[in-house]
Amino acid sequence: MDTATHPDPQGSLIEDLKRGNSFAYKEAVREYSPGMLAVARFYLDHSSAEEIVQDCWVTVIDAIQKFEGRSGLKTWLHRIVANRCKNKLRSINREVATDFSESLDPELADRFNAKGRWDLPPKLKFHESADTLMENDALSGCLDKHLSALPETQRSALMLYEAHQHKSEDVCNILDISASNLRVLLHRARQKIFLMVETFQETGKC
Amino acid sequence: MLMCRDLADIASDYIDGELTSRQNLSVKMHLMMCKHCRTFIGNLRASTDLLKVHSSGRENEELIRKIDERVAEALRERKSDGGTRE
Repeated sequence: MDTATHPDPQGSLIEDLKRGNSFAYKEAVREYSPGMLAVARFYLDHSSAEEIVQDCWVTVIDAIQKFEGRSGLKTWLHRIVANRCKNKLRSINREVATDFSESLDPELADRFNAKGRWDLPPKLKFHESADTLMENDALSGCLDKHLSALPETQRSALMLYEAHQHKSEDVCNILDISASNLRVLLHRARQKIFLMVETFQETGKC
Repeated sequence: MLMCRDLADIASDYIDGELTSRQNLSVKMHLMMCKHCRTFIGNLRASTDLLKVHSSGRENEELIRKIDERVAEALRERKSDGGTRE
């Protein structure tokens, strides 16, 4: 397999960005900003996170000249955001506080008996495919609500890993967490979504 | 022996293929015998997939509009500085 030899679809976008092509910027902003925001939200509150993402794009216009493509464009952008956020946190002397101690969600943990068997097992099978489920507007809205209620750290980890399809090691680098802590964040977040879908399927309520 | 609670604890690692081959085997053995855990794993996997579909097309339109404006302005400034790049 020699797919690695060339044509890199990102290559021409990067060249256009280096030339300052405004259409290329529009395309890149649309493509990469949601992920950049997910990174920033790991570190900062919503409005500061949005500001950082905006500022980053302005610095990208110059910084892209030095981009050598050793990492993908997405990873490079996400690192810029992460570094800026970390600087900002340092300047206001604050750290990201996260609890990595338990990987089982307390609500789920309560559903096992003392012997570790299911006391309250999952009743229904989610038989529909993800695409079919998402056609349900109420469920989609409910998912939005629950996603925004997740702790920032869990949500960012989940978004970068699932929605933006980063490899584990990239997520760890960008968010500055260990591989085992990433596993905890992902698992906690997924359980919350599982519990939400379960409630929704059983009761029709969010 | 792996109990249901233990399995729930490492379910994401199982789904992502992050377990050691030994752990993986004990999860598989457990799943063969336990219907509840099969349902749980299936549902957790479905929830995970849901997220991929759900968030892939999401954008913050307002934020993107603001960024577009700032980028356009910054590009204009650089051009008027005579710094046209080619």
